[in-house]
Amino acid sequence: MNWPIVKRLVWKDWYLVRWPIVGCLAGGALSVAMIGMRTNASFYFGSVLFITVVMIAAILLPMGTVLQERKDQTLPFVMTLPVSPDDYTMSKIIGNLTIFAFPWLLLSSGVMIVLASGGPKMRAVIPFSAALIGEMFASFVLLLAVAIVTESQAWTVSVMVAGNLFLQGFMYYVARIPSIARGLNGNGVSWDPAAITLLIAEGLAVAAMVCVTFMLQRRKRDFL
Amino acid sequence: MTDLAVQFEGVRKQYKHFLLDNVDLALEHGGILGFIGANGAGKSTTIRILMGLVVPDGGRVHVLGHPIPERQAIAKRDIGFASEDMRLYKAATIGWHMELVRSIYPKWDPAYAALLLKRFDLRPEQKVKGLSHGQRVKASLLLILARRPRLLVLDEPTTGLDPVARQEVLGELMEVLEDEGRTIFFSSQNTLDVEQISDQIAFIDRGRIIDRGDKESFLDRWRRLRLDVPPGVLLPALPGTVGATGSGRLAVVTTSSYEPEMNLAYQSVGATVHAVDNMTLEEIFVANVMSRREGRVA
Repeated sequence: MNWPIVKRLVWKDWYLVRWPIVGCLAGGALSVAMIGMRTNASFYFGSVLFITVVMIAAILLPMGTVLQERKDQTLPFVMTLPVSPDDYTMSKIIGNLTIFAFPWLLLSSGVMIVLASGGPKMRAVIPFSAALIGEMFASFVLLLAVAIVTESQAWTVSVMVAGNLFLQGFMYYVARIPSIARGLNGNGVSWDPAAITLLIAEGLAVAAMVCVTFMLQRRKRDFL
Repeated sequence: MTDLAVQFEGVRKQYKHFLLDNVDLALEHGGILGFIGANGAGKSTTIRILMGLVVPDGGRVHVLGHPIPERQAIAKRDIGFASEDMRLYKAATIGWHMELVRSIYPKWDPAYAALLLKRFDLRPEQKVKGLSHGQRVKASLLLILARRPRLLVLDEPTTGLDPVARQEVLGELMEVLEDEGRTIFFSSQNTLDVEQISDQIAFIDRGRIIDRGDKESFLDRWRRLRLDVPPGVLLPALPGTVGATGSGRLAVVTTSSYEPEMNLAYQSVGATVHAVDNMTLEEIFVANVMSRREGRVA
């Protein structure tokens, strides 16, 4: 792996998507502030805005840094640089993971701080929220993997729609897992095994998707 | 390792509706190869294989001594590649692109880059989205020339340019040619451009290299003979004849291996040779392709 050039390509993607990320951070900061207002309405609308902002960032990055490069024919420019397809894949994975992780971590931390500093009822939501935020990160990685491997806008949009539907189902069913449901209705944080299992599964899914992306990319015989 | 800058040996690539078949190419260091073919002939596929972006199904490719695609990243340190379908980032400036390329290539020549900016009438602060097609091509050329590559690979670089921009781009390439250590692989369907700058020619058609050699020998070998053929006279089938057309007493014979003795051969059967015309590279290319497609070997 040609790490100095991978680093330059990561920097390039950071530079090219900097303004949309600033926009997501601004929207996300508003959502965290609304969640912290401690009224039912502001909590609900703040949560919806938070999920929307993270989803927008998750869609925007694969579209902007992977698919748009093919559509705008800037990929040949990148591939004239002394890089191999492996270097390119690595730069896209590192670049997108770090760019997405930046607002995701900041905003998730903001939400967790707001929830932790709220009353016992707010603190009770923390494990469920952590599982939900983890699922959103895994969904982003899936979207990124599909964009890199298929190079297809149609496939990526289809997976995005499926991912959004899955998120709704995820919230519905996870909230009904008995131990998590008890925690949600309890007072204070309760890290039950189901919530921890979910977080570990999400982490493993992310790692597996990254590995499969590399594996499938290496099998490609036509890069352009 | 090989002494050749570019070497293809029996390269093959099969697609659903296209076969690049048994391509052999050799380009010495310092040579300038004009790679000519019609749309869909296989020029871009060949160049993508050369750059390591497409893996061939068979055969071997070496570029600047490196096996491709395995060591493409190392080979590309010394390759400057520009293609007609390559674009720069619309939201960024020319200066940003220059800085990106400079940070990657230790051989980046800032003085030469500044000179090219001036010659091409470009400014570093110009955003790519505001550039005309001609300016974009010039900016791309600047980015590859200022990194001082040993091998320039140009895939239809002048397509879509107006005559003035085309001459500016070709003029800059002509200056680059003064550096005798620089090798150029120049693909085009515009034979005039190729004729101006190349010293070797390869024709590709329907995925096969149909002819190759040095430019001067192409231009020397190929001739068009205008004959007066009296009724009842049958022209002899001379080696190298790739086409004979005409009506009445007038006949036009195209040959790929002209020798003055051909005149004597035609005169010996009663025909009169009115003229022996030189052919342009375009005429040679078209005659070559048509004769191959019609089963007559040039």
